[in-house]
Parts: sequence; structure tokens; C-alpha cells
Amino acid sequence: MRMADGPLHFLDLFRIDAALSHGELWLRYFELGGMSTGLQLEAYLYGALRPTHHDHDIIAHALNERFVELGGNHPVPYADDAARGGADHWDDFDGRDDVDGGDDAPRGAHGS
Amino acid sequence: MTTDRALSDFSVSASFMDGQVVLALEGEVDVLSAPEFGAFFETMIDRGHRSVVLDLARLRFMDASGLAVIARGANRLEVTGGTLTIRTPVAMIGRLLEITGFARLVQLGPDTSAYGHLGPEELVADGAANHSYGMTRALTKFASIHSDDDLVDGALRMAVSLAGAAVGGADGVSVSLRRRGILSTVAATDQTISTMDANQYQTGEGPCVDASTKGHWFHAESLENETRWPLFTPRARALGIQAILSSPLVVQEHPVGALNIYSLTPSAFSVRDQEMAGAFATRASSLLGDAEANLSDDDLSIRFQGALRVREVIAQAQGVLMEREGVSEQDAYGALRRFSLSNGRPLYERAENIVASARRSLTDADG
Repeated sequence: MRMADGPLHFLDLFRIDAALSHGELWLRYFELGGMSTGLQLEAYLYGALRPTHHDHDIIAHALNERFVELGGNHPVPYADDAARGGADHWDDFDGRDDVDGGDDAPRGAHGS
Repeated sequence: MTTDRALSDFSVSASFMDGQVVLALEGEVDVLSAPEFGAFFETMIDRGHRSVVLDLARLRFMDASGLAVIARGANRLEVTGGTLTIRTPVAMIGRLLEITGFARLVQLGPDTSAYGHLGPEELVADGAANHSYGMTRALTKFASIHSDDDLVDGALRMAVSLAGAAVGGADGVSVSLRRRGILSTVAATDQTISTMDANQYQTGEGPCVDASTKGHWFHAESLENETRWPLFTPRARALGIQAILSSPLVVQEHPVGALNIYSLTPSAFSVRDQEMAGAFATRASSLLGDAEANLSDDDLSIRFQGALRVREVIAQAQGVLMEREGVSEQDAYGALRRFSLSNGRPLYERAENIVASARRSLTDADG
């Protein structure tokens, strides 16, 4: 775990779109094997800390399972998807391509 | 060039560079200093500056009146095709921008290092030694999220204040909320607006009542031609109201209230205003959802025990896959996740099947 290089709050936009409180998301993340505290999770969501690939993928999956529960797709990208998609290194991946410029809530989460 | 003006514990300086004006705020913006800040900010926009940066690195405190100034400025810049960037807010103000949803309406500057000010104890690496302590603390935090109605009402009042400043055609804003089965106004910009809401509760009709019960938005573009609410509409027109926009507040897929925006002008709300109203309603819903998530200790204990059980089953399934397929722990997790995604089923369900299958194999072997 290390400090993020820039604002990466896109995960929190997905959390808002999924209508999950920070506490609810942390419980789901914990269920799926997450090892970080609630405060660390919030720091990942706001981009203050950068999660490991594995932690990112657990957060992404917790959110995606929620979107599926809501009848939608699974819009949150995974770290290994980014690697397959051409980002040579985790540092090249910030997910912002998936969040409409990063200045608004993620789109297409429901029923897409 | 730098200009300085000071009022009590607040000062603002302006620097001009690369076509941008950077306003550096220092001290505290509250109801006393907000007019000074507003006059300065709006003067810059009046002078034709289209790219404004607010540097908040030395601002220690800001309340709703300061946010309202920023919202008005952001709105004016948006209309003229300009941009507003907020740079380096200290942690408290950054959090305030976040809590109110305001951070989503403006551009945050590249230096947001202040968001990392969670205290040195939060920046330690994960490890077994501090894990249980951190978990306990996180649970305590989870249990105390917005446990107080007053705190929620305060946040809703701030949302009302911001919506009033940010939505172009708004002359008044309120939030109606159903608590213990009764719809009432928890925040309003003035008494006329509270009366407007009360008229709807009394007559049992109106866009606020409908949005609060039906869960979708209602736009009365011009009350002159409005026929949906025959009892309420004359009362609204008697108070000078011409247009109303009510957006539902939804928690766990159930409508619980509405964000209501009133205008004295017919057709006052542009498409952008309607989008802004929706964004504020979404944020207010999220605040209410957090409050709803506040569970009793017993509920929390049950939820946490359930989470521990799920976690254990997933770990067992990983172990089975590692043994059976000769893969690493993370590859095993990745396989579970991919199966979950491709089948649209929870990861836990797949893990449970794998563990059950392994148990059957063991039983057969023993038999």
C-alpha cells in the first residue's frame, strides 16, 4: 500500500451509484476477504491511498455484485482487466476512462 | 499582481497567471466573511475572468454560506463556459465538499494531498498485528455512521442551501422527509417555502407529495396551466409560485421524501437545472441511506458473524482450488471471481459449492 499519485475517487462514485454506505461496502469487502480497515477502504475510495491489485479487485467485485443485485451489469473495472486491456503497469490504470471523465457519477451501471 | 483585502479572520488574495486568476483564501469563511468573499469572487467574474482557481490550502474553516458563494460562482462560470477549480482544501473542508456532494460539481485541482490527512496511524501497512484493532475500530465507526437525526438534518439543510445557490431558476428550496409515517419539512430556505410544503401536506396533493410517494420526479413547468393538483395549485399561485421541480429521495429503493425547488418564474428550470436538482437529490438520498445503515449493536453483531462465515467459506474454497489446481492463492481467488462474473452469481455461492463438493469427495474416499 502506498500513497496515490493523483485523485482517483472514481471508486467512490461507483459506491454512490450503488447506493451503499461506506460501512455497508466495507462489510461486503470484508466478506469477500478484504484485509483493510474501514478507514483505509475510505482512503482507497477517495484516492488518498492506492490499494494493491488484489484489494482493488475485491472492492470492484463487492461493488459489481451489488450492481448485479440491482439488476444491472458489472461496470467496475478490475486491475487484471486493465492489464489485459493494454495498461502495461498498474500505475497506468486509474479507471477514469470508465467514469465519464471522472466528474460525474458512473453511467450505465443499471440495466446496461 | 496580488491584491489583498482583509476582514476579521478572513483574507483573500488574487494572483494572475497563464490566463487564470488564483484566489487564495485564508482564515475562516462564515456568515460574516462570506459576503466579502462573494463580492471579491464575483468581481473577478464580472471582469471577464473565465478560469478561476480557488486555493483553499490556508483556509481553516468554511460553512454553508461559503459553499453557497462557491456554488453561485461555479454556476456563473458554467453559464459563460468558464471553469472553476478548487485546489488543496484542508481535510475538513475537503470532507465538507465531499459530504455535500459539491466535489462532484466542480473540478478539483491536481494537488489533493490534503485528502490523505487521515492521521499517521491510518497510513501504516496492513499486518496481522494491527488488523484486529483496526477492524474493531472500523466496526465502531460503522455503528456510529450518522446515528443522530440532527446531524442528518444539518446535512440536509446544507444540501438545501447549496441547491438554492446552484440551481439557476431556484427562488426557494426545501426537503420533505417521511419519518414515522408522517411527511414533514426538515429544511427550507424560508418561511414561504415551508408554507408551500405545508399546503401540500394539508391538501394531500402536489409535486412534493407525489415525488415522496411515487418515487419519481415531478416538474410543474408553469402552474398557470397545471391541472394535476387542483386543490394545491391555487394556493401556490396565491403565493406567487410559478414553477416547481420535485425530485424523490430514495433509500433502499423506497421513496422517503423529496427535494423541492420553487420558482417565481414560469419555465424557470433548464435541462441543466433539472440535472443539478437530480444530483442534489441523489446526494441527499445517500446521506439518508447512511443514516438508515445505522444498526443496533445486536443487528451489527449478527451481520458481522455472517460476514465472518462467508469469509471463511471463501478461504476454504481458495484452499481447495490451490490444492486441486496447483495455483496460487490469488489465482484461486481470480478463478472464483471470474466464475461469479460470467454466471452473474455471488462469489460466495461458487465457493460454497466447491467446499461442499470437496467434502463429498472426502466422504466418498473415507467410505
